[in-house]
Amino acid sequence: MPHLNAAYTLARYLTKDVSEAEDATQEAILRAVRYIHTLRNDGDARAWLLAIVRRECYGGRRQRIDTVAFDDVPELQLVDKGTSPDTAANRSILQHRVREAVSALPDGLRETLILRELQLCSYDEIATITEVPLGTVMSRLSRARARLAESLANLVTFEEGYG
Amino acid sequence: MTGPTPRPLGEVMREALPTYEAPESLRAWARAQAASEEQWQPRARARPSLSRFAYAAGLIAALASGWAGERIYRSRTESSDAQKFLITALVDTHVRSLMADHLTDVPSSDHHTVKPWFAGKVPFAPAVPELQTQGFPLIGGRAEFVAGHTAAALVYARGLHKINLFIWPSSAGDSGAPKAAYDGYSLVHWTDRGLTYWAVTDAAASELDAFERAFRESSQ
Repeated sequence: MPHLNAAYTLARYLTKDVSEAEDATQEAILRAVRYIHTLRNDGDARAWLLAIVRRECYGGRRQRIDTVAFDDVPELQLVDKGTSPDTAANRSILQHRVREAVSALPDGLRETLILRELQLCSYDEIATITEVPLGTVMSRLSRARARLAESLANLVTFEEGYG
Repeated sequence: MTGPTPRPLGEVMREALPTYEAPESLRAWARAQAASEEQWQPRARARPSLSRFAYAAGLIAALASGWAGERIYRSRTESSDAQKFLITALVDTHVRSLMADHLTDVPSSDHHTVKPWFAGKVPFAPAVPELQTQGFPLIGGRAEFVAGHTAAALVYARGLHKINLFIWPSSAGDSGAPKAAYDGYSLVHWTDRGLTYWAVTDAAASELDAFERAFRESSQ
């Protein structure tokens, strides 16, 4: 169950479309069933399945491998700028803006951010799933966070922290 | 005045961004895939890597349903080939009905709508009780052709699960095991006043017992 939901959730964020997400997940399961014997290590099952899902989502479209230099990736802290930051209304505005900002990210940045922050994958797992070197994972994560900071600038303050 | 506490981006994201549950149709389909894959594995060839294969089958079952238990096909040893064929056909039809928007031809929770709909579609008049109060809301009905039978299918819900109840006129060979389980699906079978009933669901087998009781009491 967790794998199927994780697979479907990733597909939803990568395709940004309900029926495309279902199709991609379905194709991924067909492949997973057929190629299960290629799975080397049982502990990698989730990352392995997510990698298949990702390939199906992009439908064989070749991903540009970007080779931006390795950065250290600071965690970002958000401080709500609203006068009464804990009101439900402010929260829901913030949540809406986060969704929009994530949705507007380019594929490479969005998938990296989703795998890291939502699926809680390790950097190594993300490198495997998205088929890029570890350094690229780090720089994509850094750029994705910078973009979010920019999009949400009037709502929150970002502070660098290492939390 | 102390300012608001800074919150990590990840925390804000996890709060703002939904995780999605795979739709039931997809889940059922994945389960069926896992099952058919397992069915077609030749035993002899699977033997050298049996543990690997068992793991793979388990993984896929877990992917599909979170149900990583052993594959059950109790009726395989207890019943005739005809019954095995029937059970497989019933489960296939159930799974197919959950895929691709073909659960009902007549979607309605009103038995005054569902019952007359069957006139002219099946050569008998099935009882269509409303079982909402017993916890099995009526979802609708459709016509089916299952293992050579022109059948009425009534669809009821149990929580998020669906129950397909297939009904057709009984014939001599319709007796047999009243219960079966196949690939995690449960089946219950009874005959009543010349009609054969088969209920199929992915809900727990005990739910089907309750369903059978509720249905038989309400259709008296």
